[in-house]
Amino acid sequence: MSQPVTPRRTTRSSASASPSPAPASPTSPPKSRPKPSPRRQLLAAAAAPPKEDGSPADALLAELPGRRAQAMDLLRFLAPAPALPLMLHGGAATGKTRALLLALRHLRPSQRLVYAALRSLPSPRALFASLLSQLSATPFSTSSRHRVPDKPSDFVAALRDALTGVVSHGEVVYLVFDNLEVVRSWDKGGQLLPLLLRLHDLLQLQQVVLVYVSSATPDAYYSMTGSVEPNYVYFPDYTVDEVRDILMHDHPNPKLYSSFLSVALKPLFRVTRRVDELSAVLEPLFRRYCEPLGDLKAVPDEGMKRRLFEHVQSHLAVALNETFSVPMRASMDEIKDGGSAGKGSAKRQFAGKDGLSSELEFHMSVSAKYLLLSAFLASRNPATLDAALFDSTGGLDNRKRKRKSSQASMHMKDTIVEEMLMKGPGTFPLERLLAIFQCITSVSEDILDEIDCSDNMASESGTTGLMSDVLLQLSTLCNSNFLSKSRSCPLEGSARYRSNIDEDLALKVARSVNFPLSKYMYRR
Amino acid sequence: MAAAAAAAAASVASQAQAVLRGRLCDQAVVHAALRSSPDTNYSKLKYLVASSVSEACNNSVLLLGPRGCGKAAVVDMVLDDLKKEHPDAISVIRLNGMLHSDDNCATKASSDDNTEFMIDMLRECGLAHKTIIFVLEEFDLFAQGKQRLLYSLLDAMQSLTSQAVVIGVSCRLDADQLLEKRVRSRFSHRKLLFVPSSVDSLQRLMEHLLALPEDSPLPTKYVREYNARSIFNDKKFKGILSSLTDADATTSHILRFLVVSYMDIDSGLLSMQSFMNALSSMQRQPKMDSLQDLSILELYILVCMNRLEDKEKSSYNFITIMKEYKSVQDAYKTSDKYSHTVCFRAFEHLLDRELISFADNKGRNQALEYRPVKLLISSRELAESLKLNTTCPAVLQKLLDRERYM
Repeated sequence: MSQPVTPRRTTRSSASASPSPAPASPTSPPKSRPKPSPRRQLLAAAAAPPKEDGSPADALLAELPGRRAQAMDLLRFLAPAPALPLMLHGGAATGKTRALLLALRHLRPSQRLVYAALRSLPSPRALFASLLSQLSATPFSTSSRHRVPDKPSDFVAALRDALTGVVSHGEVVYLVFDNLEVVRSWDKGGQLLPLLLRLHDLLQLQQVVLVYVSSATPDAYYSMTGSVEPNYVYFPDYTVDEVRDILMHDHPNPKLYSSFLSVALKPLFRVTRRVDELSAVLEPLFRRYCEPLGDLKAVPDEGMKRRLFEHVQSHLAVALNETFSVPMRASMDEIKDGGSAGKGSAKRQFAGKDGLSSELEFHMSVSAKYLLLSAFLASRNPATLDAALFDSTGGLDNRKRKRKSSQASMHMKDTIVEEMLMKGPGTFPLERLLAIFQCITSVSEDILDEIDCSDNMASESGTTGLMSDVLLQLSTLCNSNFLSKSRSCPLEGSARYRSNIDEDLALKVARSVNFPLSKYMYRR
Repeated sequence: MAAAAAAAAASVASQAQAVLRGRLCDQAVVHAALRSSPDTNYSKLKYLVASSVSEACNNSVLLLGPRGCGKAAVVDMVLDDLKKEHPDAISVIRLNGMLHSDDNCATKASSDDNTEFMIDMLRECGLAHKTIIFVLEEFDLFAQGKQRLLYSLLDAMQSLTSQAVVIGVSCRLDADQLLEKRVRSRFSHRKLLFVPSSVDSLQRLMEHLLALPEDSPLPTKYVREYNARSIFNDKKFKGILSSLTDADATTSHILRFLVVSYMDIDSGLLSMQSFMNALSSMQRQPKMDSLQDLSILELYILVCMNRLEDKEKSSYNFITIMKEYKSVQDAYKTSDKYSHTVCFRAFEHLLDRELISFADNKGRNQALEYRPVKLLISSRELAESLKLNTTCPAVLQKLLDRERYM
């Protein structure tokens, strides 16, 4: 379920991070960081004993703004050794992992932390290996097995061996399973999940405390055969004031920034409540906000605030309507090596830029543009209309279309529209694409002829030039996700294609080559 | 002086908490009450196993009941007792359906050697007057597939020389119906049913668990003062208990409740308030919680989806939702008109939170916009959360209400 979402997510965060490093406010939860390194630092810190003895809970609370109740709950649940299993749940970027790791660091004496982020351990085998290797790092470990167990029974036996070795020295072991929700989409997730959740009963070790961290709600883990419920700590999303506190934390010019936030935060907060996304949007906006100011250290008065507000207002309206901003250079790179970009990310970029960046240039060959357009037409138009649309005159047979629509009853039309909406762009075989491509290139040559009466020879050669390495262009477009190649049709045996671009982008491409696209689009 | 006294009191309280936590996490303490009374599953099981050990016969029994009623704890207690009574006449083999069902079946399938080995082993043990006790946890999982393990085990027990007891533990009440005919005929149909305890016995259990033992290292004065509090006879407490057991009356549920509630002790004594707090935190509704966490735009999308469902659309996708959203925005001219991509991000957040999901698993290679989706919340829940949300614009409320009453 979450599978198709994940790659998008990573590309989004990496893309937003590429122009300038995220405004690494130290309070923002680890989820918002583009790289896992801060979390790793936290992990190391959590594993190490605290530096000063008896650090009060206030220090912990100061590091977790807006998470007071949750932190206190965590401390209480985790505190003395025997504890029932615990599950932390809440949306993304609510500071679950950070709060847990900080609380574990805060809890004092000898304790060991075994941390497994299931998102980065994509199979049961990897998970088992990671857990056991983390445990066997102890010099007292008796179970230095070289073979990684891949059966659950062997794993539980090995884990119990390793844990009893550690526990017998009076240490408390905290087993943390992060990103528990991803297990559900694993191959054998249905079997692994009850195993992980019942580990407390299976191990029967008092000194081992199990902690699960999940962004899915607890009811996602109910199974057919009854479930063992851990205690829950819920992490709600941050409220406006909490987000403000987090963003304000350690800012060099708090007065200026708070006046900026009072303008910008509320409207953005209506769109998204995630701190990581908000901070990514706010950072370039703040730079805009400061543009009229010579001195960044200035403390703004009322008049200046108003002036700055008027300055930033238009940018704010733009920022509200884009998911992430990419400087021109980066987006070019994205197109060129689009193969590495996640599914649809390039498309979304363009769509996000819609309306504000008419200066956006397509660094794409003319034939690729035509190919893109013909793919778009092939996906949107019904195949039966091809003959009507692309007849020898190159124009559109209005008469025929009108008759057709008048014949069709309203109800039929509605259902067809409905179907088109549901099915999305259709697929088409390569032959149809090439036929349309040939038609529209010849049409555009005709138009060019009408306009500047170029000699016949040149246009002829131009057409053949456009047709030359179409297949090469096609594979490029497929790689950069403008087209997608779907499964081959069982009857015909050839691959079918589908265009992934939306109408806005298609129109923009058409404009760049002066092609009258709207004339060829079948409107229902 | 006063500060020192307060610190001392705090440390006593935290010590008391540690003691309580130890008691709550220890299964033996939790289920100790079963040991004392005569007519419990504990005594029945003990009698059964003890008699088959002393009379050197074969036996099999199923312990059935919902999770968290103390089945495994009873087995543990019985086995512990018997091991003390007959130190060298018993050997226990524990198998868990979750862990061992595949492996054993796999080895059984490969050859019949294992079966013969098992018969030999049972015979040897029988000759040595040693009883083997098989504890099969998650018994229902052994009943999946060909049931070779169960068959060979129970078949081997048919011979006179062997001496074994099979104890199956399962949370499925119909576990014995899952057995194949050949297995069932070899199974003695002894079943011990575990049911959640009554409110009275649960109350006794809570009193027992939350009492501090006299022999603890805590000061006796404190222990006496602590134990003297008769909070359990309060009307309010009974109300809390009954509302708790209405939802789930298993022992483990009560345990979780106690763990949550005892933690709130600041003064070192139990208070009604802490029980109330614990109850409210146990009765959270995760879906409602995550509905409260939504941004305005995400709420708009949910309302649009709800409108589509009310129009009895059989299936719809993101594009259809956007159409609806646009029409809503055009009709009401709100300030919350956002671009396609921003809405798509909000849509993805909703997918992430699992408030909506894809309606089918087909079309994995299709673009997300076109995959049909469905709501995972009811319109009642949505309406309630809109009512609770203070920042929610009035238009949304109206949009949701209008379609319901028109």
